[in-house]
Amino acid sequence: MYRVQDEVSLLRASLQGDTAAWGEMITRYKDAVFGLCLGFMRNRADAEDICHDAFIRAYMNLRRYDLERRFSTWLFTIAANLCRNQLRYRRNHPSTEEPLQIRGGRDPAKLLDAEERQNRVREALDKLPYSYRAPLVLRFYNELPYQEISDILAIPEGTVKTRIHRGKAMLKEYYEEGA
Amino acid sequence: MNRIAVRTVGIVMMLAFLVSGATAGASLSEFEQALRAIPVSNLDYILASIQLGMTQSDFPDDGLMRLIDRLTRRTASAFEKEAVLLVIARGSSDGLPVEGLVNQALEGLARGVSLQWIEQNLSERLVLLSETRDLLYSKGIFSGSQGSSTAATPTIPTLRFNQLLINISETIGDFLEGGGSPFDGYVLYEEVRNRLTMLEGVTLSADDVALVLDRIDASDLTQVALAAVS
Amino acid sequence: MKDDAFETLLRDALRADVKASQGCLADLEERVASELGDRRPRLRWFQWLAQLLAPTRSGRIGQIAVVGATAAIFLFLGVTLSDNVPRMGEGTQLSLQPVQSADGTQEVLFVLPALDAEDVAVVGSFNAWEGTDLSDPDGDGIWTASIPLSPGRYEYAFIIDGRWWGQDPLADEYIQSFGEYSSVRYIGRGGDGA
Repeated sequence: MYRVQDEVSLLRASLQGDTAAWGEMITRYKDAVFGLCLGFMRNRADAEDICHDAFIRAYMNLRRYDLERRFSTWLFTIAANLCRNQLRYRRNHPSTEEPLQIRGGRDPAKLLDAEERQNRVREALDKLPYSYRAPLVLRFYNELPYQEISDILAIPEGTVKTRIHRGKAMLKEYYEEGA
Repeated sequence: MNRIAVRTVGIVMMLAFLVSGATAGASLSEFEQALRAIPVSNLDYILASIQLGMTQSDFPDDGLMRLIDRLTRRTASAFEKEAVLLVIARGSSDGLPVEGLVNQALEGLARGVSLQWIEQNLSERLVLLSETRDLLYSKGIFSGSQGSSTAATPTIPTLRFNQLLINISETIGDFLEGGGSPFDGYVLYEEVRNRLTMLEGVTLSADDVALVLDRIDASDLTQVALAAVS
Repeated sequence: MKDDAFETLLRDALRADVKASQGCLADLEERVASELGDRRPRLRWFQWLAQLLAPTRSGRIGQIAVVGATAAIFLFLGVTLSDNVPRMGEGTQLSLQPVQSADGTQEVLFVLPALDAEDVAVVGSFNAWEGTDLSDPDGDGIWTASIPLSPGRYEYAFIIDGRWWGQDPLADEYIQSFGEYSSVRYIGRGGDGA
């Protein structure tokens, strides 16, 4: 847990052009942002690019960030919007990248039980429509409360809950189908 | 009805006709002249549809005039040019807002694509407009005068209704044109929600947006999209 | 499978994916810093002034005091406040924040870097797809045009020496139109969101 006051001084320093201070913010948030992007995009190369982009944009637009509000919400919203735009592009230009799977050069038949189960979850996540996957990622990877998810995705809190509920159900179905 | 009353009604109607003609951006006779320059063979039909369209204040008379001019200058058969205009005429006759169609056609001409493609594109979007209107009606959302509005079947003033219609149907059209599948209703809903909320408080009323998003769902949009591609 | 167990599985899978990619995140800070270079965040006028007058002050009270003092100065000078970014030095620090005018239209800036181009125009739903020229008076390859637009949604593309270019990096969205890309901007609420 980071002290909020500490973060505020880092942000003020960043506003003055202190890229080292911004670097410290990146260190603190990069896993969270990357995980969000990877979960949304299901594509490592895209996630890397968007994660990088999100930190650039956030820095250049720091003046728009209102110190009263949560920094994480603001940063995640930028990343989520970038993902959404990229997904539109990807509709017409699908990625040639391999799906996210544990392989490591091993015989798929010899994968450990746990790894095999994880792969099935990954496949299920790939199939899930974006509007269901996004809230699930924010909930189960970023561990965010419903209100924050609602702010980031700009959908009402009630819708967030429905999507998570239905999304989990759909995910389970796909998972069971893949057995 | 006695003679005096009939005459009064007749005079009022004539005045109304003159006034509507006088306040239109481009007049009906200007349209007639422009259409003759193509030339079109269904002049009366097209003019009648324009006249009907002009009774709405959101009729894109400037855009349509430009479209006719550019079609005239374009090297192609009169038949192909008229085909494009006929789609717009059909829409207008049907009481649908054609601003988006005119805009699409102007873009197509600027890009230099074939008139066939433009006509095809417009036809698809016309179906979307019509189906979207049916969808809204089926959900109890009507356009028209405020007098008949109830909570269960709200009536939205025509200009606002038209804006909803245009934005919903265009979103579906853009989605399909971008290679989206009609069966991805959830994604379609997301796209529609995004467009409507981006325009909330700008060109759309927040209440209208809330009403629509509340009553339509993913499968509804799939049905509309399917109608356009089949 | 039980709900809890499934949730755990989901969490683990998501975490494992990130862990597997840890390598590419290792030098993110350096890469971002090197791309940012000398660039500084675009500041609002009172943030800039706050830095100028009280650079070491932190805390809201300090900020409010600075704002209060400078507001008094501006009132005295009768300067009208606007949202334009003051130029902080070299480089193209263009303000993309639209300025609203009395008739409800906003001057919207269209910007395109196009070195070596001779002719750049923007076509879109706001000019019936007939070109509005961009200009590059200082010849630095950055072409601009300022167009007054009412709030709403606009589709457009650039034409660079006769070739259509539909993906404006500053657009809010891209759509496909007649097989090519067009850009979309929303002017008004939501039009200047991050």
